[in-house]
Amino acid sequence: MKRYAAMLLAALALAGCQEKLTAPADCPALCPGGQPQIFDEVFTATPGADSSYSGYIQPHQARSLLVSNGLEGFEERALARFLTRADSVSVRDTLRGYTIDSVALSFTVAARDTNVNGLELLIYRIAPGFDSSSTFAGVAPAFVPESLIAAVPVPDTLNTGGVVRTVFQGADLSRVQISAADSGRLAVGIRLSAPVFTGVRLGAVAGGTGPLFTTYATLDVPDTGTAKLRTIALSTAFNTYVSEAPQVSDTTLLAVGGAPSSRSLLRFSLPPRILDSATIVRATLELTPTAPIVGLPTDVVQLEARSVLADVGGKSPVNTQPLRVPVDTLELGSTTVSIEAVRLIELWLGSNRPSALVLSLAPEGASFTKPVFHSTRAADPALRPRLRLSYLLSFPFETP
Amino acid sequence: MRQPFLILLALFVPAALSAQSSQFGVRGLGFPGRGLAVRAMGSGGAFGLFDAESSQNPAALASVTVLASGFAITQGFRRVENPAGSASVRNTRFPQLTVAGPVRTLPVAVGFSFSNYTSRDFTLATSQTIDLRGTPVDVSDTFSSRGGLNDFRIAGSYRLGDSWAVGAGFHIISGSNRLTSTRVFDDPGFLSSRQRAELSYTGVGVSVGFSRLFGAKLALSALARSDGHLNADLDSTRTGTIDLPFSFGFGVRWRPVPALDLAGQTMVRTWSGANSDLLAMGGTGAQNTIEVAAGAEYTTDLRRPYHRPLRLGAHYATLPFTLVMGQQGHEFGVSAGSGLRFAQQRAGLDLAIEHVWRSEGVYSENGFLISLGVSVRP
Repeated sequence: MKRYAAMLLAALALAGCQEKLTAPADCPALCPGGQPQIFDEVFTATPGADSSYSGYIQPHQARSLLVSNGLEGFEERALARFLTRADSVSVRDTLRGYTIDSVALSFTVAARDTNVNGLELLIYRIAPGFDSSSTFAGVAPAFVPESLIAAVPVPDTLNTGGVVRTVFQGADLSRVQISAADSGRLAVGIRLSAPVFTGVRLGAVAGGTGPLFTTYATLDVPDTGTAKLRTIALSTAFNTYVSEAPQVSDTTLLAVGGAPSSRSLLRFSLPPRILDSATIVRATLELTPTAPIVGLPTDVVQLEARSVLADVGGKSPVNTQPLRVPVDTLELGSTTVSIEAVRLIELWLGSNRPSALVLSLAPEGASFTKPVFHSTRAADPALRPRLRLSYLLSFPFETP
Repeated sequence: MRQPFLILLALFVPAALSAQSSQFGVRGLGFPGRGLAVRAMGSGGAFGLFDAESSQNPAALASVTVLASGFAITQGFRRVENPAGSASVRNTRFPQLTVAGPVRTLPVAVGFSFSNYTSRDFTLATSQTIDLRGTPVDVSDTFSSRGGLNDFRIAGSYRLGDSWAVGAGFHIISGSNRLTSTRVFDDPGFLSSRQRAELSYTGVGVSVGFSRLFGAKLALSALARSDGHLNADLDSTRTGTIDLPFSFGFGVRWRPVPALDLAGQTMVRTWSGANSDLLAMGGTGAQNTIEVAAGAEYTTDLRRPYHRPLRLGAHYATLPFTLVMGQQGHEFGVSAGSGLRFAQQRAGLDLAIEHVWRSEGVYSENGFLISLGVSVRP
C-alpha cells in the first residue's frame, strides 16, 4: 500500500504543478497577427456645436462666499443675514426676557492665499433686506465707516477651514444691537482688507459652514434653582456675495465657472472605426484659454469634464460616476489646459451615447478663477478645443 | 527499487527542471497531439496502433476483454530558446481519456475516447520602445492563447477469427482558442489595452484500421483516417474552412521471447492539404508530417505482465505548422516507463517520462514530459 500511496502522491504532485506559460516572442515568426499598432489622431470639436450655458449655481447657492479687495481688478463683498433672534426665551412654559452679556460673530475661512499675511475681515452692519437680486452698487452705501462694527484679523497661521471670531461685550454691544425695525434679524456685510490685492473664500450656508451669530444672555428669572445663563446660537438664514464687475458673457467663447456659474458643452464627431472597435489608451482634451489663468494663489481650482448622457443642450444630464469624471487642476498663469479624459471617452465607445462632454469648475460658483477658452469659432485652428486620441484598432486575431 | 526511483524523479523534477509551453504550437492549429495512452508513451508510441487505451487505431479495441477506462495527465517541463531569448515554462495537460469494453456474445468491442488533437496554449511576451506623441515610450506586449482541438472518437472493432481484427471510428473534432493581446505602457499616462477573441472549430472525421496476428510472435497493424475539414469561426462569425489531413499508419510488433515485446510504427499525415487555407488566412502554412517510433516492453513477471514492466522507446516526427515559411520543425524524443496493477487487477497506474528535443532553424526547445495514467476495470 505504501507503494500505491507513493504513486498517488506522485499523481497529485504532477497535477498540482502551477502552469507557467510565458516565453519570449521573436516577431514576426512567433507573433501571429503581428503586434498591436497604436494610432495617434487629433479631433477638433464639431465646428459651431460648442456652447456655454450660464446660471447653474447662483452666488447665494455657492458653497463659499467670495470676498476680495481687487484680486481680479475689482472688489467682491459677502452679505449674510442671520436667523431671527427672539426677545424672550421659553422657560418652564413661560416666556422670559433676558439680558445680553456678549455677542460673537464667527466666520469660516474656506481658503485664502497663504502667502499673504495681515488679512482682516471688515464687518459692516447692513440692512437685512437684501436678497439674491442685490447688486454691488445696491449695497455699497451700507459699507461706510459709520457702519463698521468690527475688523476681524485672520491669523497668519490659519490656512483652510479655520474659524475667525469676534466678540462684542460691554459698550460694544450697541454695534450689534438689533432695532425693532429689523424684526430681530441681524445682517452683516464683509469686506477684505489686506496689504496686497487678494481674496478669501468664506464658508457659506450651502456648504454647511455659514457665518454664526451667537448671543450669550442671562435670563430674567427669580427662581435661583433655574439656570440663568443661556446661549442663543443663530446660523445664517441667507448669504450671498456681490461683485463690483458684473459677469459678461461672450457667445463665441467657452466660459467655465463664475457666478452665476457657466458650463461649456463640447461635441465631437468621432468616426465609426473608433466608436465601434477601437481601444482607447489615452485621450487628452486640449483647451486654450483666451488669457492666462488667474485666480487666488494656493487655492486649488479644478476643471471637470463629464460625459453627456443625452444631448439636450444646456440641461443635458451628465455622467456622475467619479471614476469617469476626469479633472485637471488649473495652474495659475498657464496658457493651455489639458485633461486626461480616457475614462470619459470610453463611455462613448460601443454605445448610443452622444460624443459630447460638459466642462465645469470645482468649486462651482465659488472660485476666483473663471477660465474662458477659445471655441471652435476661433480663427486660428490651433486655438480650438481638440481631443487627442491614442488608440488601437481591433487586433487581427483571425490570422492563425 | 526502480519504481521508487521513478516516483522520486516525478516529485523532484518539477523544481529542478525548466521548461515552456511549446513555441511550435503558436502557428496554425497548434502543436499536434499523439492520441496515446501513458503505457504507449513509455515505449515511444511504438505500440500506439496496437494499444486499446490509445485512440489511434480503432481495430486495437479488439484486444479489450473487460470494460476498462483510462485517464492520462501530462506535466511538461521545457526550456525554449529563440532569437528573442530563452525561458523555462511548464504546463499541465489531460491528453487522453478512454472508455472501452466488449459486447457480450459478439466478437465486438466498442469504446469512445477523448484525446488531444492539437494544443495551442502559449503566452508570448515582447518589449520594445515606440514613439507616442513624439516621446519614446517603453511597452510590453503579451499574446496568449488557451485551448486547442479535441478529438472525440466513437469506435468499434470486430474480430475475424483468431488472427484478424478490423475497426472503424467516427471522430468529432472541436475546440477553441481563447486569444488575448495585451499591451502595457511604462508611461502611466497610457492605459493598458487588452483585446480578446475566440476562435472556435468544428469538424468530423472517420478512421478505419485492422490488425493481423501471425502466430503468437508477430502482429501487423494499419490505419487510414480522413478528418475532412474544419470550420473556423471567429467570435461566432465564420471565417473559413481548413482542410484536415489524411493519416496513414503502419505498425509491427514482434515478440522474440515471451518477456520482450518489440514494436515499431510509422504515421504519415497529409497536413499540406491545410497549407493553402492557412496561407489564405495569413498564416505560414502547413506541411506533410511523418512520425516514426520504435520501442520495447520488457515484462519482469510473466505471471503478471502488467506489473512493473520496463518500457523504453524513441520517436521522431516532423511538425506540421511552420514558424517560418520554407522550414519545417521536427521533434525527437526518448522515453521510459512502467506501471502496475492492483486491486485484483481492477486498477492500474502507468508512468512515462519522455525527454524531447524540438527545433526549427533558430527556434528550439527541449524538456521532459512526465505522464501518469490511471486505468480502472470495474
